[in-house]
Amino acid sequence: MTTLTDSPGRGASTPPPAPTTPTGGAGLSLYRVVHLVQVWLLPALLVVEFVAFSLLSPFFLTPQNLTNVAVNAADLALIAAGLTLVILMGGIDVSTGFAVGMLSWVVASLMAAGQPPIVVFLAALAGGAVVGLLNGMLTARLAIPSIVATLGTSALFQTGLFALWNSRDIFSTPVFPFLSGGARLGELPILVLIVLAVYLVLHLVLTRTTFGRSIYAIGSNVEAAKLSGINVRRVRVIGSVILGLLIGVAACTYLARVGVVQASSGGELTMLAIASVVVGGTSILGGEGSVLRTLGGVVFIVVLDNGIVLAGVPSLWNGLIVGFVILVAVSINGLAVIINARKKRSL
Amino acid sequence: MQSTPLLTARGLTKRFGATKALTDVDFDIHAGERVAIMGENGAGKSTLMKLIAGVYTPDAGSLTLGGDAYAPATPTDAIRAGVSTVYQEPSGFSHLTVLENLFMGRQTTRALGWLDKKSMGREAGELLARLQLPTRLLKRRMGDLSLADQQQVLIARAVANEARVLILDEPTSILTDTESERLFQLVDQLSAAGTAVCYITHRFDELERVADRFVVLRDGQNSGETDDPDREGLLRMMGSVSSVTVGADGGLVAAEDAVPSAIAEGEGGTEGEGGVLTGSGVADAAAATSAPVLVVDALSSEGIFRDISFAVRPGQITGLYGLVGAGRSELALAICGELPIDAGTIAFQGKPYRPHSSRTALEQGIAYLPEDRKTQGIFPHLSVGDNLSAAALRGVSRAGFVSTAGERDLVATWMDRLSIKAETPASPITSLSGGNQQKVLLARLMATNPQLLILDEPTRGIDVGTKREIHRRIRELAATGIAVLLISSEMAELLELSDTVHVLHEGRLTWSAVGSEITETAILRAATGAAA
Ligand SMILES: Nc1ncnc2c1ncn2[C@@H]1O[C@H](COP(=O)(O)OP(=O)(O)OP(=O)(O)O)[C@@H](O)[C@H]1O
Ligand SMILES: [Mg+2]
Repeated sequence: MTTLTDSPGRGASTPPPAPTTPTGGAGLSLYRVVHLVQVWLLPALLVVEFVAFSLLSPFFLTPQNLTNVAVNAADLALIAAGLTLVILMGGIDVSTGFAVGMLSWVVASLMAAGQPPIVVFLAALAGGAVVGLLNGMLTARLAIPSIVATLGTSALFQTGLFALWNSRDIFSTPVFPFLSGGARLGELPILVLIVLAVYLVLHLVLTRTTFGRSIYAIGSNVEAAKLSGINVRRVRVIGSVILGLLIGVAACTYLARVGVVQASSGGELTMLAIASVVVGGTSILGGEGSVLRTLGGVVFIVVLDNGIVLAGVPSLWNGLIVGFVILVAVSINGLAVIINARKKRSL
Repeated sequence: MQSTPLLTARGLTKRFGATKALTDVDFDIHAGERVAIMGENGAGKSTLMKLIAGVYTPDAGSLTLGGDAYAPATPTDAIRAGVSTVYQEPSGFSHLTVLENLFMGRQTTRALGWLDKKSMGREAGELLARLQLPTRLLKRRMGDLSLADQQQVLIARAVANEARVLILDEPTSILTDTESERLFQLVDQLSAAGTAVCYITHRFDELERVADRFVVLRDGQNSGETDDPDREGLLRMMGSVSSVTVGADGGLVAAEDAVPSAIAEGEGGTEGEGGVLTGSGVADAAAATSAPVLVVDALSSEGIFRDISFAVRPGQITGLYGLVGAGRSELALAICGELPIDAGTIAFQGKPYRPHSSRTALEQGIAYLPEDRKTQGIFPHLSVGDNLSAAALRGVSRAGFVSTAGERDLVATWMDRLSIKAETPASPITSLSGGNQQKVLLARLMATNPQLLILDEPTRGIDVGTKREIHRRIRELAATGIAVLLISSEMAELLELSDTVHVLHEGRLTWSAVGSEITETAILRAATGAAA
């Protein structure tokens, strides 16, 4: 051992090794900071948002304003919930907005034709299921990357809506009273309760059922999912169909909110839905995230929109601020992924 | 055996494009039998297993299971029929917990697919206990575990299926002897209970321990089978005799290798010296005293390793040993700038060196062969040639333009030197057998002319013949003055190649030795924390 310049015994002669679990250390390593930020960013942003806006506008924190915001968020919340499933599987859907627009035309026309509400509602669901099935089949069966497939269907829905609209705006009343903010249970709009119920159910499905596990598994490692005996295609298609059904419901609540179908109805929802999921902290690469986080993302985005208007900021700024916040959220996620990858080898 | 086999395969043929992976292969296994499937890299072992596991469907031929026709179209069919597989390439879900990984695809449920978490938790605890793994692992994310621990979780998952046929494709290639032995005990229990175990390995020293019968494939065809673990016979069947000869002590020696002291593969050499293997100590005195190319001083990374000091000299091979979780690979990653350093310093070629990423490390002349081929090594969408030349393109470029001819020569040279078995350099890397992919990665690094070569399990999954070849290349490289840091879980490899050995135990450097002081017993004692 004479030729060694270092002291081999060094490690052994110092006190016994400290516990070597990465989470056990008390120090605030970069890894822990990023992890904490990743978990707490959204709650913190929500708090800042609420405090700031209530200071800026006395009207912001009134029950009336908040229920309004909640009711107006319904369609976005429903789409984002379904979209979370698709994104968790490592997919994406950029056709949701125009799908809502096109279906809302169908709903409005059926209403105008005097069809009974239940028929109209079921038609919206059926239309949504077809939309979901179409997107699901294109991606799962024909193996077209979801971004390409849904860009295609989005163009299809947009053109479809334009052709159907045919320069005639259709005005409409809500299909069911409870699909607008009007019907209430005590103080709470029934619509808000329905949305919350959807989130609760999806949360339970994702965390407590084999189907939910399969969704995370597919997003985490498709090959391994296949080898584990998961029917990847079927789960993908079912996920898309669930999103489609929620789009069908969203078309009804969208119509109840805006009251009219126009040439470009719904288009703005596509980006907002993706933003809600991502700001919520669900990984755009799949495998990680939850619908509850998406709900937080939805709240953040609709409150931002509302607060900016109430605070008298020119609405031009709105898009800028939302865009900026999304970039920040996504970079923090990205940073966490990188640092996780570096630290992952620790035992 | 007189009884009818549990699983039979007749005339299996499988083509991938122009490659005939399997031609007319027969295979039988009885309940409770342990069969080793042997063969060189690319012989078709994994393909045969994947046909049984329903990953591929055969172009011709048929299977029976338990006397009935068996034609799995998907892995699901195979799992349902009682065939459980641990694949050569790790296939876990890194975002999910160990518990979730253990039960993926076979969760215990009540109505409507509702998960029965309580009973799964109980069962999972028992499973881990069988492999002597701590239950606290259950809540950890799979991706946070070391590769070897992930492998053990995957083994536990396969075992959990209570399979009739268990397929293990090179399960021990990243495990040290300690973890391997636990697996062998498990295999014993399972085969005693009637499970048929198909076992693929390139490690001759574990053959007798894990198998009753040896089936050899060669170029996708049956090449013979035997009950006799005699190395020479097996090697002849595998077609490896040209590159490997059997030494006087029963160990394997590369044919070109005239050095008689080369340590035998496996336990062959152990007996002659009273249970003690010694290092080869090939380095000459000059190399042993030359100025170190890499000096690591009191290096720490929070929660992973602490206070590590050692030096790597040009022309020498420095071995790093340690049990799974000791921090060997992590130390290598830190030197490459892929793991944050919290304290301590590194000097490279006499100058302070603070690595930021593998790219800076590579520019400085430090090349690193990662342990996890699939996620850290290959570019799965690129060709064999592109994978091989990826790190050495600068050498064959002018003003940023890659010289096509230069790249082609480079690729051809290295494919030839390491005898890489690929249809053409343009074939996708994923079409190569596991061992051949590993060779491509090795070639990629060697082609960069590094000053320091860090090799993490360089011969993982590589057949004996090629392993000798790679060992020879490593020694040659060292002889030209390159410093080599070698991490290996395989004791024989470490003893054979290393001039100096450092042993890590729970993130600390517990023992170091040079030349003839390197003994297997001492290394094992240090690795288990017994030595001070
Ligand atoms: N998916 C695939 N596409 C194309 N060729 C393939 C594919 N899988 C295997 N092959 C080819 O089939 C042959 C047999 O490969 P296989 O993986 O079965 O070898 P192996 O015996 O398991 O080797 P190793 O010891 O290296 O793991 C090889 O020539 C390989 O290149
Ligand atoms: Mg193989």
